[in-house]
Formats: sequence, structure tokens, C-alpha cells
Amino acid sequence: MSVFSDYKNELMDAAHNERIRLALSRAIKSYRANTNDALKKFPHTIKMAEEVREIKSKAIAEMEKLAQQACESIEFNKGKTYIAKTADEALGIIDKLVGTGKLIVKGKSMTGEEIEVREHLEHRGNEVFETDLGEFIIQKLHSRPMHILSPAIHVPKEDVARLFSQITGEKLPPDNIGQLVATARKLLREKYFQADIGMSGANVVAADTGTLFLIENEGNIRLSTGAPPVHIALIGMEKLVPTLTDAYKVAEVTWRYANYTVPSYVSLVSGPSKTGDIEKVTTYGAHGPKELHVIFLDGGRTELAKHPILRQVLFCLRCGGCLYECPVYAVAAGYFGDKYFASCGTVWAATISRKTEKAAALAYTCLTCGRCKVRCPMQIDGPAMCIEVRRLLVEGG
Amino acid sequence: MGNKELIPPGLAYLADNITSRHNLLGAGKGAGARWAKGLNLPKEAETIFFAGCGYQYASELESLMSLIRRIDKSAVSTEMVMSVASFQKKLGIDATGILRRVMSRGEEEDAQPLLSAVKVLNALGIKFGYLADDEPCCGGLLHYIGLQKEFAQHTRGVYDQLKSKKVKQVIGIVPSCTYTLRNLMTKSVNGQDLEVKHFCQVVAENISSRELRFPKQVKVTYHDPCQLVRYLGLVEPPRQILKAIKGIELIEADWTRGEWATCCGGGGGFEAVFPELSQILAVNRAKELVETGAEVIVTHCPGCIMQLKTGLKELKANNVEVLDLAQVVTMAMGV
Repeated sequence: MSVFSDYKNELMDAAHNERIRLALSRAIKSYRANTNDALKKFPHTIKMAEEVREIKSKAIAEMEKLAQQACESIEFNKGKTYIAKTADEALGIIDKLVGTGKLIVKGKSMTGEEIEVREHLEHRGNEVFETDLGEFIIQKLHSRPMHILSPAIHVPKEDVARLFSQITGEKLPPDNIGQLVATARKLLREKYFQADIGMSGANVVAADTGTLFLIENEGNIRLSTGAPPVHIALIGMEKLVPTLTDAYKVAEVTWRYANYTVPSYVSLVSGPSKTGDIEKVTTYGAHGPKELHVIFLDGGRTELAKHPILRQVLFCLRCGGCLYECPVYAVAAGYFGDKYFASCGTVWAATISRKTEKAAALAYTCLTCGRCKVRCPMQIDGPAMCIEVRRLLVEGG
Repeated sequence: MGNKELIPPGLAYLADNITSRHNLLGAGKGAGARWAKGLNLPKEAETIFFAGCGYQYASELESLMSLIRRIDKSAVSTEMVMSVASFQKKLGIDATGILRRVMSRGEEEDAQPLLSAVKVLNALGIKFGYLADDEPCCGGLLHYIGLQKEFAQHTRGVYDQLKSKKVKQVIGIVPSCTYTLRNLMTKSVNGQDLEVKHFCQVVAENISSRELRFPKQVKVTYHDPCQLVRYLGLVEPPRQILKAIKGIELIEADWTRGEWATCCGGGGGFEAVFPELSQILAVNRAKELVETGAEVIVTHCPGCIMQLKTGLKELKANNVEVLDLAQVVTMAMGV
């Protein structure tokens, strides 16, 4: 079987799966309603998105410089920093920091998915707990995420109840979602405090202060990055912007287009935990982590930033809005994707992951209908990128 | 290094038709112009009506798609079918001609949008010609497939052809062809001396003084073709026209209208690569439109018409009709 026919079969299985379609149609409806409300309540977001597009466009052109600057800022704050040229380099750095036999609690991170950090750490004899509820479900189902924000978007509550019943040995009813959430809370609660290491990504990073912005609703990221003695953050270099003010704007636009008026939590992390409360002597590791390690991953991003059409993919804020507008995604979910989904996933597969056949299959799955672009706060032109990927694959150069 | 083997066979087949036979279906020269026989449209004029492959070969495309879909659902792979089609073509068998005889409803019906458009333009007093068998395929699909070198070469030929016929203005009707001629061709050849407009723009500009009345009171919804609304940016003209027609009550979907309209599933050659999925998307879109309570779905693209008809058939929504905007205007003008 060729890559294309495998992919097509997977896509069609998903398209014929009524449960996926039901889960997605509910999600699409509520996403549109929530985003409409959020934008109505905070209409300045639309202008701010234009500003953010400018900020990102400039930042993408100087990622390496910003990474250097961010490293200096974080080091100044007594954090440790690393710039990884490749995914393997990033994994190597993480290996040195983690070792084996450790317990790790992890926040959801698409960059982590990209380099398969969980699988890698598990393979090296560590125990890793995904703490985002959706990601936890995915991990326990041995599935893969189907949306950048809501990884378990394709899993209906009945399947979650069955899964959690298996894990706990208790019979959990599917209609009580509250009980399912409480079960996950109970299962993960003590892990945060037993963990040797907490891992996260970041939604945006301010180079001038070295501040990581972590946007969430569950509170799992606060716990994962606050309770264990060591915090490792793995961040794609495209997340860097020059200033704290820029970063704030990026964050606000991100959550608004991710359908929130405001998220429950935004953590700003700039260095390890410290106190000067005893005789003004700065001592590290008060209540939070004693060590902060920040790894900036290039992994092909600086090369991609040079491409006149495909560089747009690096503007992506990962709000996930485009996916709710893609007619193919509405029936096939993340099966129309690889590490990332739909048109951005296509570019990623072609350039960062260099999976030629998979990239071709994805590129030709794009309807080129352009509704994703209408939604995108960064006006990323999905069809233009997919057509360019087709050209690159077919004509080369 | 590029690799043409990565092009899905369905698209490779269509691309080959464009480059070797100068039309999407690989039909013989002149086959596309049959609809205009007896209309006496001048073959040379400053303003020409560009009919496009989509409408001219509507029934062939429909037959071909219906066959591809049936095979896609069965055990045989589409890849194989497409190689059969190209094999037949190499042997000189007109595969689509055979299909047409076997499955088509005939030429009369699919020529309706074109015949209607001509009647409307005439009634509005617009002077125009039609290149007939000299009308080139716009070649847009080559661009969408990623064959930019072929597209650049083809579009240069199209441009030269139009210039050699001393064309100054083009009235397009297929949204995709219109966008290709207006934007992609102009950009590729760096030529600014050709004005390209879409039929609905021309109608909207010239219709205000007319008395327009639909033969009966009817609830209508409008489906925006992707290329018309998001590529050409024509949100208002079709609505302006529909709203000017007495007897038509325009009711639109809550969210999926205008620039938020859902694609019918027939975009950019998608239907030739994922025929079965394309049909699922057609059903989804038809459902959104039927839910408005409309009795007539008006749209303005041969691809969308084909997809929405398929969708309605699958939904067994026999009471809902699909009409091209050009047909609606003809009926409302009584011409």
C-alpha cells in the first residue's frame, strides 16, 4: 500500500465515523458562537490582530537574533538556555537534563508532539504523565491528537467513560462529565508533587525580558511548572517576539480567536523560583522550581522563514480557528494532518518533517476554498501555501 | 528535485487534457462551442463572453464524476480508473463521449446557464462576441495542481490568443476561469491591458432600471462559490440581483453565507482525487442550504451546481431545485 492510499483509507474511515462527525459538529457550532461573543465583547481584538500580524512578520525574519536575546534575558534571570538546531539536538539536551527513571508531568505542547518528546522520554525509561485532560485521554488511548488545542476533540464522552472505567476499575457513567473530570484530577493530583520534572511549551516569549507566556484553562500547566523542582520548557523559535508588550498582544489575540473572552490562567515565567526574604540573600527554589531550562528549537524554522509564501506558517498563533472552518477537517478531523493539521500541517510535513509523500497527500486534500484564511487572525493563506507545496513537490526548487 | 508522480492520477489526467487538447475533458476541437450554434454571436469583438470548460462540458464532467464516484466506493481504486481513462485516450477512444452516450441527460440542460447568460447580456444591450472553437481553456487547474511552469506557458498562450483576437474586455462566467484570467494570467504575463469582469458584476451594474419578476413566489437561498466570493470578492452583486427580483424571498444560512460560505466539496480538482469524500462534503453543504427552508438554491458555478445536485439527490430532497443565477435572471426578465 502506498502512503497515499493508507492516508486516503484513514481519511475515509474517519469520514464514515458518525461519532467523529457528531463530536466535531458540536465543537464547530460552539466554537463559532463563543468566538463571535468574545469578539463582540472585545471588538478591539480585530485591530489588535492586524498589529500582531505585523509583530509576527518582523519577528519571524529575525528569529535567530531574538532567540539570542531571549537566552541572554533568561540567563540574566538565572535560568538556563539552549538553542537546538535540530529535533535530535533538542532531544539530546533533554536527555542530559532528565536522565532515566524519572517521573515527569507535562503540559500539552505541539512542539513536544513535533519532536515526539513523550515517546522519546518513555523509551528511555521515564514515566511521563500528560496533564492536559484531552492529552491525557489521548495518551491513555494510545491515539494521537486531532486538534492543536483540543486534542481529544474526536473522542465522545462514552469513550472517555469506558477508558476511565478501565483505568480505575470503577464503573463510570458517560453522562456525568463532572465525574469524569474529577477522576482525571484524582488520578493526576499526587503526580505533580511526586514529579522530578515538569515540562511545558509556551504560547509566546518576550525576548527583552525572557518571559514565557503559558495560556491555559485547566490549571495543569501551573501545577506542572510550579510544583516539581525542575521546569523544562521546549519552545519553537517562531514563538519569539521582541517585547513584553508585543507578547501580551500576541497572547490576547491567541486566546480570543481560540474562543475565549479570557482564559482562566496565564502564567508568565521568566526565571526559577527565588526568595530574598531571609536577610535579603537571594536563594533559588523557594516554592517553585529551583531550575528553569528553556530550549529554543529551530528544527528547520529559520530555513522556512526565508520562503516567500510558506513563511506565513510561522505566523500561526495555534488558536485552532482555521480547523473549525475547514470542510474536510469537519468530517476527517486530524486525519487531515500530520504533526499539525490542514494547510499548516501540510507545510509542516513538507518542510520541517520532510515527509514528501505524506505532504503531497495532504497538499492535494486542501479544497483551496479559502475559508481558513477568512478566520485566521494572521490571515494565513492556506490555499496559497498548499498550492506552493504542490509546486515544490512536483516541480522542485 | 520535483517529482510529477506525486500528482494524484485524477489530476494528472485533467492536466494532460488541458496541455494536449486545450480543454479540461480532452474533447475534440469545437465540441465545447456546440451550445452556441444558431446564436449568431460574432467571433470577433472587443468584448467577449468567456464560456469556460465547466459549463461547456458540464454533462461530460458530471458523467465522469458519477462514474469515478461509483468506482471509488467499490473495491477498484480510482488510480486505476484514471490510468484506464488515459489509456483509452492514447488509443484514440473518446472515453467521455462514450460516457456521455451512456449516462448523460443530453446537452440541452447543461447549456441552459450559458444560453441564459447570452440572453441576459443581449437584453441588457451589451455588445459582445464569443470565440467559440477558438476559446482557449483558461488553464487555471494547472496552477492549482502545482504545475506552474505549464501554467505560465499555457496562460501566455491564452493571453496571446486573446490579444490576437483584439479582445479588450472579457466577461467571464465560470468563477474559476474568471479569477484565472483576471488575476493569475494578468500576474503571470504582467499584462494590464485586458479588463476582466464577471457576468454577475455586469448584470448588477446594468439592471437597476429593469422590472424583474420571477414567474412565481419562491423562497430562494444563495450558495456562494468559493472562487466568486473569496477569490473574486463578489459578495454583494449576486445578492443585489436576487433582491431586485420581485417574487423572490432571499433566505440565507445563519453563518455559512458570503465569505463564510461552506465549499460544496468540488474545489480545485478535489473531486477527481477524493470523489467519495467530495460527495460527503456536497451532502453537508446541501444540508446547510436545505435547512434554510428554501425551495430553490441559486448558485453561479458549474462545479457547485453539479455538487449541490448530487448532494440533494443523496439527501432525497426532491422538492429543492438548483438553478444558476443566469437562469434566474432570464426567468425574471422574461427573455
